[in-house]
Amino acid sequence: MTQPLLSLRNVEKHFGTVRAVDGFSLDIQENEFFALLGASGSGKTTLLRMLAGFETLTGGEILLDGKDISQVPPNRRPVNLMFQSYALFPHMSIAQNIAYGLEMEKCSKSEIKRRVGEMLEIIQLSHLAGRKPDQLSGGQRQRVALGRALIKRPRLLLLDEPLGALDKKLRGDMQLELKRLQHEIGITFIIVTHDQEEALVMADRVAILKDGKLLQCATPRDIYEHPNSRYSADFIGVMNFLPATLRQGQVIAANGQPVAAQLPEGLSEGNDVVVAIRPERLQVAAYRGGGGPRGRVLATAYHGLDLQLHLQTNLSSEPITVRLTAQEAEQTALSEGDEVELGWNAKDTRVFAA
Amino acid sequence: MQDRKPLYLMTPALAWLTAFMVIPCLLILALAFFRRGLYGGIEYTFTLENLALVFDPLYAGIFLKSAWIAGLAALIAVIIGYAAAFAIAAAPSRQQPILLFFAVLPFWSNYLVRTYAWIVLLNREGLITGLARWLGYDAELPRLLYTEGAVVVGLVYNYLPFVILACYAPLSRLNPEIAEASRDLGASGWTTFRRVVLPMTAPGIATGFVFVFVLSIGNFVTPALLGGGQFQMIGNLVYAQFLTANDWPFGAALSMILIAIMMGLLTLQTFATERASGAKREGS
Amino acid sequence: MASLANPRLMLVILAAVFAFLYVPISVLVALSFNEGGLPTAWTGFSTKWYGELLRNGDIMSAAFNTLVVALVSTALATLFGSLLAVGVEIRRRKGRFLETIIFAPMIIPDIVLAIALLSFFSLLNVTMGLHTVILSHVVFNLAFVCSVVRARLKTFDWSIVEASTDLGASMPVTLFRIVLPVMLPAIIAGALLAFTLSVDEFIIAFFTAGAGRDSITLPMQIFAMIRFGVTPEINALATIVMAVSVVALTLSQRLNRGGLPGQ
Repeated sequence: MTQPLLSLRNVEKHFGTVRAVDGFSLDIQENEFFALLGASGSGKTTLLRMLAGFETLTGGEILLDGKDISQVPPNRRPVNLMFQSYALFPHMSIAQNIAYGLEMEKCSKSEIKRRVGEMLEIIQLSHLAGRKPDQLSGGQRQRVALGRALIKRPRLLLLDEPLGALDKKLRGDMQLELKRLQHEIGITFIIVTHDQEEALVMADRVAILKDGKLLQCATPRDIYEHPNSRYSADFIGVMNFLPATLRQGQVIAANGQPVAAQLPEGLSEGNDVVVAIRPERLQVAAYRGGGGPRGRVLATAYHGLDLQLHLQTNLSSEPITVRLTAQEAEQTALSEGDEVELGWNAKDTRVFAA
Repeated sequence: MQDRKPLYLMTPALAWLTAFMVIPCLLILALAFFRRGLYGGIEYTFTLENLALVFDPLYAGIFLKSAWIAGLAALIAVIIGYAAAFAIAAAPSRQQPILLFFAVLPFWSNYLVRTYAWIVLLNREGLITGLARWLGYDAELPRLLYTEGAVVVGLVYNYLPFVILACYAPLSRLNPEIAEASRDLGASGWTTFRRVVLPMTAPGIATGFVFVFVLSIGNFVTPALLGGGQFQMIGNLVYAQFLTANDWPFGAALSMILIAIMMGLLTLQTFATERASGAKREGS
Repeated sequence: MASLANPRLMLVILAAVFAFLYVPISVLVALSFNEGGLPTAWTGFSTKWYGELLRNGDIMSAAFNTLVVALVSTALATLFGSLLAVGVEIRRRKGRFLETIIFAPMIIPDIVLAIALLSFFSLLNVTMGLHTVILSHVVFNLAFVCSVVRARLKTFDWSIVEASTDLGASMPVTLFRIVLPVMLPAIIAGALLAFTLSVDEFIIAFFTAGAGRDSITLPMQIFAMIRFGVTPEINALATIVMAVSVVALTLSQRLNRGGLPGQ
């Protein structure tokens, strides 16, 4: 590959004894839509603020186009941040907000006018140019914040929970909108979010953070299909975990039965493990007296396109979730209290140390 | 932001406060330990006489008298002020800011003018006398102005808005459901007030009391105007040392004591508030 | 609180307290329009006492002095106090010592600050006059401006400061183009408060104005008038002084509550 746009090399941020970002290395390519995904306290926002220049590093370096920018103050970085609160200037109109960054670059009046006009077109707010931020809806404000950050044509656009303040329906629209814009203008986006769905929908690649460490960095599909840790497996999508033990080359469930599972490397005889399996990979059928895993339907939950079953099984004390398509649900016709047997393919499982 | 230390923003103000508050106050502190010169000047030899003099029965008496008047004024102001704050907090929430604004408004008008208003009321030829005559009371009224009572009334009048403000703050923060919970658990209105509302709003009462006490004990305008010339409080004593008796070291010692009383009370109040803050957090 | 309150009792309390607060000053205002000028008898409506004020040279010169002191000290205090407020609030960690220094001018008894400044100026052999009153008034005025501005800064969205930096602005540019315009209502509110305080301040001015007749401020003049012979003009003077305070405070309150139009 060519030189990455952005390289983080062992980046660290310690607040006293707290390691907010703990030795982080990562390459991000030109034009990527990259998501930093993690729960609060995972260090994702701190990392973003370090990229913007609002936090100093306690170790490591940040290379942008091959040059270390970790000592460059935020107002001199070709990097812009879209704030979680949007941070629009309340006393300025939309057009003035958007023009602000260009004024700081000492652009000519005519150029500012032209580029602000273009940007207003792009974010589809030309008709509201004279309004003040508090006269806009949440989605409109978000677009102003985006336009204001984009107009400087940064090498890198950072977005801090950009959709967090919007309601659910609008969020879905804006996800697609953001993706379209990124594609159109060809700027690298790094987005911080705690919402896994948002990361999966928008990002080309996702990095999962926990306690300041990078757990996994891959495409959304890879993370969903091949999570490399129990945490990633749990964080993305719904996952069932069955406690088990490794014995004689087999995975033995808590009830003593061997279960189908892909044997992992690096785990040895006698280790306690968990078998992870997605709800849609499980097959259920009415109980016909087999000796395999079985259970009873505790509850059913209708989700439109699919039906979720909650089962109490003989494999673990925790209930297990099964997802059936509407069609499958119709075929099996299960309801609360029914006895079922369930099965799955070994290749659909992942086994992690408990 | 947090890596910046914007000292340059604070420098002018802090320099000003240092030059015209901290240093002058330290100077007063130092003056208290020097001897008074022969003709009113200052002799730079160390002495504890000034502080000892404060405890001389003559001056100790003035101290006690001042504390008595300040304490009485603070007590009355707190009772009236708390009742007023409670009534404001019980009003419909849209009216509360307006009521509060008008309760505090007099506080920001001129202190001398407000004090003078009471001279007009209490004067021998004043409004109250006039009113009594008009009502047909012809006998000689007892003297109203230039009495201890007049001073107390003046102090209460001047500082009441402050107490209302101090008591209103915790009352308005009080979650009404807490009082309702107490009622729900079987307590009467009075019991709920005594056992729940009063303890939770005690910090406001303490703040109000301490401030009225501190402001009153060092006051010299009100005793001078409403107490007449003969009436002495610590404030007047300090005033006299600097402007007539010319005994600056003793005046300095007196004001040091004043500061000590104030700091002592404020510390006590902070301590009490911190102890009660558990209850306050519950309420907010 | 409403659930515990007896509405009728509350109304009685409010009426009594507001009567206590407003009857004395209302009497003054009424008397200022009393032709005869005596509190015991109403002899007819007249504005003649206001005319008397205008012809009283002592009062007019005192009023002028007060205006100078209040304007200059308010200007200085607003500048210093606002900068101080921003400086204090921008820091995440607050120092107790710093807080004490800033809070002190508001709680220190006037008489103590007054004599401290008097001693300070005399020991430095500074000739006292209006300039020393101004220096002294800035002390408490800046503390009040600072506290008003700080209160507004508590709800200030600091991310707009970072946004401005992020868009390429230096710190001074950010202060001027972002912080100042957003904070302006609070700063003006603080200034109006400082102006009121300075117009009304008596004790510190009394001690630091020196002996000259030409540095007498309005409150000093009022004190003298009350003490050595009350003339009816004082009612008119008191009414005007109160009106100034009330107007300034009302404006201050409005600015501070409403924030910017469109915020």
